[in-house]
Amino acid sequence: MTRLEATRRLCSRLTSEAVVPSLGHPAYDLFEAGDRPENFYTWGSMGLASSIGLGLAMAQPGRRVIVLDGDGSLLMNLGSLATIATVAPPNLVVIVWDNELYGTTGGQPTATANGADLARAAQAVGIPNTVTVREPEAFDAAVDRSLTAPGPWVIVAKVKESGTASKPPLDSPMIKRRFMTALGCPE
Amino acid sequence: MSASSTLNAAWAGASEICRGLAALDVRDVVYVPDNPLSHIFRALEADHANIRTTVATREEEAFGIAAGLYLGGIRPAVMLQSSGLGNSINALASLDIAFQIPVLMLITMRGGDGEWNPTQQPMGGVVRPILDLLGIPHTTIESSERAEGIVRQMGERAWRSKQPAACLLARALWGPKAAL
Repeated sequence: MTRLEATRRLCSRLTSEAVVPSLGHPAYDLFEAGDRPENFYTWGSMGLASSIGLGLAMAQPGRRVIVLDGDGSLLMNLGSLATIATVAPPNLVVIVWDNELYGTTGGQPTATANGADLARAAQAVGIPNTVTVREPEAFDAAVDRSLTAPGPWVIVAKVKESGTASKPPLDSPMIKRRFMTALGCPE
Repeated sequence: MSASSTLNAAWAGASEICRGLAALDVRDVVYVPDNPLSHIFRALEADHANIRTTVATREEEAFGIAAGLYLGGIRPAVMLQSSGLGNSINALASLDIAFQIPVLMLITMRGGDGEWNPTQQPMGGVVRPILDLLGIPHTTIESSERAEGIVRQMGERAWRSKQPAACLLARALWGPKAAL
């Protein structure tokens, strides 16, 4: 299962959820698979997608918030898992595209290539609802469960790197305004 | 100054700051702890139970959470020690400033006169130049009496400009050492 394929499977299930992809390839794949105003594409601040998602989930308890993180970017902000466990927002879903490499920056190996287990890390800091999936059907089942059962959820999806030429708009303030308007809180 | 009067002075400032936050309709405070901030959290707990506090593991993370809160319709404040500004620069630059996401920052200052820990001097000494380079406006709160007004002024500036703005809390507010 490639990351783009998994992203397409996720997008086919979305309704009103807010989606926050990490910068680079996760954002490119999301734009290619299903651009929508409820996507908040980040372009910098590597590592902070899960933190942005946590703040969103706190602000909008009635809406599911889905973070599309990478293994490299989550490793940059592992403390975020402990904060998510402490706040424990039931509406937050963190999907980690774990391709065991820094795909956006040239394919250098991450610690997960050496066996670092991000689902176990999430469990160890206090997020019981964690799962690692490798097959499309298992990914679909995990997503379906996370969209209905109380979270927070951490879904580590082992994926193959996928490239797309698509990129979301570089107009960051426009992305923000479009997103906030779609969420019903225009500035 | 006796220990108890230092504590009383700190409490007065904390209440002023909290009134400012409430007047701004700040409903979430995300922070990385510093001793003087304890005064503010005590005052929040006592008088402003509707303002939620969330502790982050690192300052950069706090700015990420605050950005998400703002995107979801809540006005956030981030509280940190001056040392933590160094951990936050890329988040401020590539998230808050680039996306025009406002946040009110309250920074407790280390370094300068009376600082006992020499490792706090280099970072404490460049907080203002760094904020200036980023184009983030800042005002220093040097007395408890002016605290509410400065908090309101910088908060309103942040929401209006859709950019971060900072209140720097001078060490003199808390006495030579945090009285905790």
